[in-house]
Amino acid sequence: MRMPRGGARFVISFLALPIIIYVIFVIAPYLQAFYLALTDWKGITASPKFVGFKNFEVLFSDSVFWKAVLHHGILLLVLPLVTLIIALFFAFLLNMGAGTKGVRGSRFYQAVFFFPQVLAVAVIGVLFQAMYRPDKGGVLNGLLDLVGVEPIGWLTKPNLALWMLIAVLVWQAVGFYVVLFAAGMASIPKEIVEAAQLDGCSKGRMFFQVTLPLLWDTMQVAWVYLGIAAFDGFAIVQVLSVDRGGPDGSTTVLPLEIWRNAFTFSKYGYASAMGVALFVLSLTFAVLTLRVTRRERIEY
Amino acid sequence: MSANLTVERTEGGPDNGSGPPPVRRNKHDRGNPAFKGLSHLALFVWALTVILPILWTFLASFKTNTQIFTDPLGLPSSISWDSWGRAWEKANVGTYLFNSVIVVACGTAGTMLLGAMAAYVLSRFSFRGNRFIYTLFVSGMVFPVFLALVPLFFVVRNLGLLNTHLGLILVYIAYSLPFTVFFLSAFFRTLPVPIAEAAMIDGASHTRTFFQIMVPMAKPGLISITVFNVIGQWNQYLLPIVLLAGDDKKWVLTQGIANISTNAGYQADWPGLFAALTMTIIPALVVYLIFQRQIQAGLTSGALK
Amino acid sequence: MSAALPQNPSRRSVLKGLGMAVLAAGPLSACAFGSDDKPANNGPTGTVSANNPLGVAANAPLEVVIFKGGLGDAYATEVHEPMYKKAYPEATIKHMPTQQISQTMQPRFASGDVPDVIANSGSDVMDNGALASEGQLLDLTPLFDAPAIGGSGKVRDGLLPGTVEAGILSGKPYLMKYIYTVYGLWYDQALFEKNSWTPATTFEEFDALLGKIKAAGLKPYAYAGKNASYYQYWMIAITAAKIAGNQVLIDMDNLKEGVWTSEPVLKAATAWAEIGKKYLDPSFEGLTHTEVQTAQNQGQIGFYPSGSWLENEQKEQTPATFKYGLTPTPSVTSSDKLPFGAVRAAAGEAYIIPAKAKNPQGGLEYMRMMLSKEGARGFSEKTGNITVVKGAADGLPLSPGTKASNDALNKAGDNIITYNLFEDWYKEFETELRAKTNALMFGRITPDQFCKDVQAKADAVRNDSAVTKQNRTS
Repeated sequence: MRMPRGGARFVISFLALPIIIYVIFVIAPYLQAFYLALTDWKGITASPKFVGFKNFEVLFSDSVFWKAVLHHGILLLVLPLVTLIIALFFAFLLNMGAGTKGVRGSRFYQAVFFFPQVLAVAVIGVLFQAMYRPDKGGVLNGLLDLVGVEPIGWLTKPNLALWMLIAVLVWQAVGFYVVLFAAGMASIPKEIVEAAQLDGCSKGRMFFQVTLPLLWDTMQVAWVYLGIAAFDGFAIVQVLSVDRGGPDGSTTVLPLEIWRNAFTFSKYGYASAMGVALFVLSLTFAVLTLRVTRRERIEY
Repeated sequence: MSANLTVERTEGGPDNGSGPPPVRRNKHDRGNPAFKGLSHLALFVWALTVILPILWTFLASFKTNTQIFTDPLGLPSSISWDSWGRAWEKANVGTYLFNSVIVVACGTAGTMLLGAMAAYVLSRFSFRGNRFIYTLFVSGMVFPVFLALVPLFFVVRNLGLLNTHLGLILVYIAYSLPFTVFFLSAFFRTLPVPIAEAAMIDGASHTRTFFQIMVPMAKPGLISITVFNVIGQWNQYLLPIVLLAGDDKKWVLTQGIANISTNAGYQADWPGLFAALTMTIIPALVVYLIFQRQIQAGLTSGALK
Repeated sequence: MSAALPQNPSRRSVLKGLGMAVLAAGPLSACAFGSDDKPANNGPTGTVSANNPLGVAANAPLEVVIFKGGLGDAYATEVHEPMYKKAYPEATIKHMPTQQISQTMQPRFASGDVPDVIANSGSDVMDNGALASEGQLLDLTPLFDAPAIGGSGKVRDGLLPGTVEAGILSGKPYLMKYIYTVYGLWYDQALFEKNSWTPATTFEEFDALLGKIKAAGLKPYAYAGKNASYYQYWMIAITAAKIAGNQVLIDMDNLKEGVWTSEPVLKAATAWAEIGKKYLDPSFEGLTHTEVQTAQNQGQIGFYPSGSWLENEQKEQTPATFKYGLTPTPSVTSSDKLPFGAVRAAAGEAYIIPAKAKNPQGGLEYMRMMLSKEGARGFSEKTGNITVVKGAADGLPLSPGTKASNDALNKAGDNIITYNLFEDWYKEFETELRAKTNALMFGRITPDQFCKDVQAKADAVRNDSAVTKQNRTS
């Protein structure tokens, strides 16, 4: 729109407050964090001491840091993949192919699946504490006990713990993507579906050759969302894991190490350096994903 | 942007169009019963995984410690609301609930007002620095909040807003702006230009045009993003524990729950913990059941934009 | 907050955005950290008199932060705070209970808006060593040198030996350790009598006894790996001290080279790893201390390592028939330096006053009241724990657990095992030790590996110039 009379004053009056609040509470703290990463600040005294890139040198030789990065790598591969496959599967079942009304109870299932999304992670953490309890008092182990299986240490086995935490994240996320994909599938124009059906396209083929390509945009965004979630995981690890990030550091993630270094070890400078690393990693991921998955859109 | 692929579209449904009459489905589609049964089973099992933990929590609030730990699958032997009383009174769940409502109501209202204003200007007016300011806002979406926590604390403290609801509300607004601006800008861009121009020609001011013409037209988008922000702010945990830590009368619900969860650890009152948990889940469940459609559309439309 | 991504942020536009933000944020960042290096004692002062030796301003408000864990906070709200209020009726007292000391207090220290007294305790304690080295703690010498309330002499004269020393950091008493705690293995006396089990004096006997308990269908030994693995490394340290004397613990605190790989520590780790392998149910690694302690109250567990606060902490869960008993850790060899009866007993639970407290005099006075006979006795009544104040609990009816602690102390005589101060000094090291203790006890690493790994972390902390080093000689 061209700028008519009084436009400049209007633009300023509408933008001033949002920008002021945003700069004070968001931009300024982030920039200070970048500065803190170059200091040895212990979070307590008033004046941080500048130490250059020393924190980063220490960071790159810190095995815990690399362990956490590895876990983010695993999360980054598994969380989106598993969540999307399950969600696509359920969305497909709910729609029974594209363009039709869907199975009976479709609304009900969507409503139930989606519900964990509106719960706070703190709540979910406490919920799963009871599910995963490692003795017969746990819900999962209580069920296993019915069929005579010895209790399993869901969160105490270093090889299993991270996967059980990922399961919680998947559990929470699936419903969101089911609803997302189901909506996407239902909005595929029925002409396309009918044309495919007339061509004698099987359900499976239709899914891979019609539905999936048309959902590509949605999938791409979903992948980015889940990827970002893969760089968090703090609350769930903090509440559920043994010894916060254990056993043997097998579930630790960068936000947890940042929190630990800041609030337990009083190493704010070092924690900020980890924060910067986390930022670089998540930004790299986002840019790469958008590059790699960019495709021609199917217009309709 | 694929603005045409919104959830709203599904609600009209493809059936009310005037296209060719439905084709007879082929044999495949009528479905073989085994496949149908299996898919129902899969759906049903997943639904159970969602319902059962919540139901279990509810039931556990009526059990005793011994029952909870020795017979996790059993039903409570009697229904006594003692643990609920303890959770409500001793653990202040009522106060926390009230605080959460205040903070989220103000936070979301502020976010929507400021976000819509900024998004409107950024999407509909061209001026020097527009692109830059827009980028400034949306770049906020890529920063992990963890990075900002400590400096943020100082900013809030230097403004004298530490341990106040106002401070938390302002911070919520600030951290909700990036996505709100991003989402609403896209939305405003899709609205037809001529209507606003006609209003201007009729002598309406920019401000009036915005509030009386554009906001009503943008209602679907505004509702979606409001829902999105309400849920995001309601579930926020990290910011309150840093910015409201010093005054337990002002705590919000997530803080309270985390506190009760440690508390139950120290006082060995697990029924009380599960009662408190249930009390926080129930309002969410009720609101969700009433506004289910809006909530689903609100949360997912962000992804579809 | 939910983070989502713009679909097309060109890298340049992001950088440009940041550039402007730098300019915009300039003045803010300059004032954010401020320069509030105020003098340490800036609180209001009153006139010094015989009744008011510390010069407390009678009307100055006092803020007390209490860790509300196993001890509850009634001892503060119903004993110490009323005492203060009685002496200074004009003062308003703000009482703040919390379970998360570190999360709530660390930011306040960073901002300079600190309370006047803090019970720095629980599993999320702040790093006292770091606080002291940053000049954030008030030197408590005036407290210990002040006249004792209702007694003769100075405050320090009325305390059990070693109390003041246990709170020294960098040569100054910054911490007031209030509770006298006895550590060892806790069991249900009634259950043991019924089964005619008697606590073991050597690891061989211990092994046999645990075998019997296991055969009876109980879990013979337990500790909570999820959040309290330090209870178990206490046992390893105590056993090492029994083998070779207190010097090995002092060496640990001084981060001495090779102490963790030395013979006594390796032997102690081996002995306990053996117990872990044979008798420790893997589920305990995923349980919290209250869950495990409650299971013991329900008669499912034989021995549980802990300190003498345990009985009070479990008060609500303990059936009337359950009688807490305490036994020292078994001896490893017949040539152990300390006898079987030696127990760890120490002043624990640190109370601190921030250097930048608004009412430091009031904080000191509050502590002086805590250390009076009246204050200490009231504490013991509320919590069932004995304080560092000599004779304050005399004549109080003793619970089974407290009696057991007293008996153990009497039997130990001079054979007191010292407390490890690295827990206060080197939080980062301590965190690693917790993790490795779980790995050792649940059989994922050998004792040899345990010693090597822990020593490696001790070396790393010793060589980290960012960590202020402490030292102790006794």
